[in-house]
Amino acid sequence: MSDSEDHSDSGANLGAQESGSSEQPPSPVTSPEADGENDVDAVPVRKTRRRPENKPLAESELPSTDPKKEGDPANASAKTTVAQGGWGYWGSWGKSLISSASATVASVGQGISHVIEKAETSLGIPSPVELSTQVKEEEKEYHEASSEGNGQDTSAVSGALGMFSSLSNVVQSTGKTVITGGLDALEFIGKKTMDVLAEGDPGFKRTKGLMNRTTTLSQVLREAKEREEKQTGEEVSSETDKKAHYGVLFDEFQGLSHLEALEILSRESEAKVKCVLTTLSGHELAQLKEELELIKDQFSLVEFDDEEVDEKKDDSGTEFVKELTDALAELHIATAADKLDKARKSACEWVAEVSALGQDSKPLENASEEEAQSTLDVPKAWTAEDVHSSAIRSLAELTARSIEQFHKVAELILHCDSHQVTAVDQAKALSQITVILCKEILLLSKKFTSCLTSVGSHEKGDILNPLITGVFLEASNSASYIQDAFQLLLPVLEMSHIQRSAGQ
Amino acid sequence: MAYAYLFKYIIIGDTGVGKSCLLLQFTDKRFQPVHDLTIGVEFGARMITIDGKQIKLQIWDTAGQESFRSITRSYYRGAAGALLVYDITRRDTFNHLTTWLEDARQHSNSNMVIMLIGNKSDLESRREVKKEEGEAFAREHGLIFMETSAKTASNVEEAFINTAKEIYEKIQEGVFDINNEKRLKNGRKLSCCYTTTTDASISALRTQVKDRGLWRRSIYAVARNQRQLNGT
Repeated sequence: MSDSEDHSDSGANLGAQESGSSEQPPSPVTSPEADGENDVDAVPVRKTRRRPENKPLAESELPSTDPKKEGDPANASAKTTVAQGGWGYWGSWGKSLISSASATVASVGQGISHVIEKAETSLGIPSPVELSTQVKEEEKEYHEASSEGNGQDTSAVSGALGMFSSLSNVVQSTGKTVITGGLDALEFIGKKTMDVLAEGDPGFKRTKGLMNRTTTLSQVLREAKEREEKQTGEEVSSETDKKAHYGVLFDEFQGLSHLEALEILSRESEAKVKCVLTTLSGHELAQLKEELELIKDQFSLVEFDDEEVDEKKDDSGTEFVKELTDALAELHIATAADKLDKARKSACEWVAEVSALGQDSKPLENASEEEAQSTLDVPKAWTAEDVHSSAIRSLAELTARSIEQFHKVAELILHCDSHQVTAVDQAKALSQITVILCKEILLLSKKFTSCLTSVGSHEKGDILNPLITGVFLEASNSASYIQDAFQLLLPVLEMSHIQRSAGQ
Repeated sequence: MAYAYLFKYIIIGDTGVGKSCLLLQFTDKRFQPVHDLTIGVEFGARMITIDGKQIKLQIWDTAGQESFRSITRSYYRGAAGALLVYDITRRDTFNHLTTWLEDARQHSNSNMVIMLIGNKSDLESRREVKKEEGEAFAREHGLIFMETSAKTASNVEEAFINTAKEIYEKIQEGVFDINNEKRLKNGRKLSCCYTTTTDASISALRTQVKDRGLWRRSIYAVARNQRQLNGT
């Protein structure tokens, strides 16, 4: 996908639609949106959503029957590859993921706790414990394999890859919804028609959420957090519960505030861009639209190379810091990844410490805790609840720092009109940063769940499962927040581009 | 953890007058003589109690540098209180107060409570602005006034809390109409708000439901893959 191709593509689009769409007031855009919403709501959605609930597969049930029900065209090829390690399967799977995203939105009436519960019970299917045990085992196998120095990593590693690939799907799915983030801008710039969008974006509901002027992400999060606080207050629940409330922690790390501030900047930039566009006409307008289009393209093309991820067992995190620092440098603004690195490090160190302890104590089984205490001089033995709390806390912190990073980037991009770099290149770097951050979130959740499994090996499944599921759920939420924050940067870059062009 | 109100504060004033230090002293009860220049805005939060009610202060500590002005102005909206800070050892920071005040009045709610703060009161020997001058300026413009020291913590607590008391009184008097001002045009909630409203809670649910559903599917598929591997 070379630049020149992009260029001609969007140019053609512009040419075709310019006359019609530039005249469109904002209102017509909202009506197809409403239609799309109904469509999405009514048919494919419920179906997808119910599947896991109505058919809580017992673990013994044959998994091979499942892929058929996905109705994926790519199934045939997927099946064959699955046997070899599940690679091909993941590729096609992204599609069903996207539809499920909009699917689940349909069921609004359910309470959060109910949903969590649902998720947990219906998740009894995959048995999270089993899942992460396997991840753990495969990790071991992987290490053994690599220490032997041969390259036979096919099926053993693929389980762990599963995690990564599912991340790639998350990213892919937002890749689509990415376009939706800039929908408002679409009104003015007149890119593809709403029909095309609705068709190509099954997660259209999400668009609505982003377009809805009366709610913002930070507000939604704040409300959710307040609910959580209220609930904990009313129930006078145990301390561990309180400790492990993601929303509350996210706010404590100032994630909400940074998000709110980022939203303000995003919104104001958006308004300014609109304003500039209304003052232009003819060739100037067409040219600017074309330029803005190029920036926007970077927000819909989130590339994620899962093969690359699997190769690296980035335990030290040096790879993460290096990638992040390099990508930040591409932005040509004075910002560093210090805080993010610190948050990641402290989380990983905690896991390493607890894991080391868990491994030492494994052979001793029941006596493990006392033993660990005496040998390693740890003040207390870690329980599964401790690990869970720490996981939620770490995820909340890393996410808050990620949002903070994006907020700082927005401020600095608006602050200094760097001529060393184009807005398109900055957009490229930012989409790369988004992928790096999401990858790290998923890696971290994987580490924590492995840790949970080893620490809680003597716990019953009904205690351990919800904890593991909880970690996965919040990791997914974290990735969503980061991707949403990334979308907020589009208007900022557009505005910055206009400033820079004017300054030349 | 639950609170009756959430007040948004902004701290404004020239660069180097001690805005970030005041915040740090208020939230962490410590003083840091060397501070990085604030970029854009930083945040702090603390819970206080007024009239038996828990109030959460969400404090936006803005950059004082001129070049950040256009950005920081965006952050004024929705603030219930502002701390306008100058440095008693630097006359120029006092002279710029009018500009800051105009800015604040223009970009925020007209009922916003503004506290004028003459900071660095511990540096009496280097004082360039008399306390009376600060008092006179405050009286003229209808502000509350205090001299503080972020270093010794003198009056810091009072400055933040007295501002909150003033806001609270305005709410009791009905000056801040919570119901009407709760939401701005763009949907942002204004400073004073009760916890949770129904429509927004539904949106929150949507987000949660959506995200959780997404993830559930991914775990589901991972596990399925696992089982297939085991079977072969």
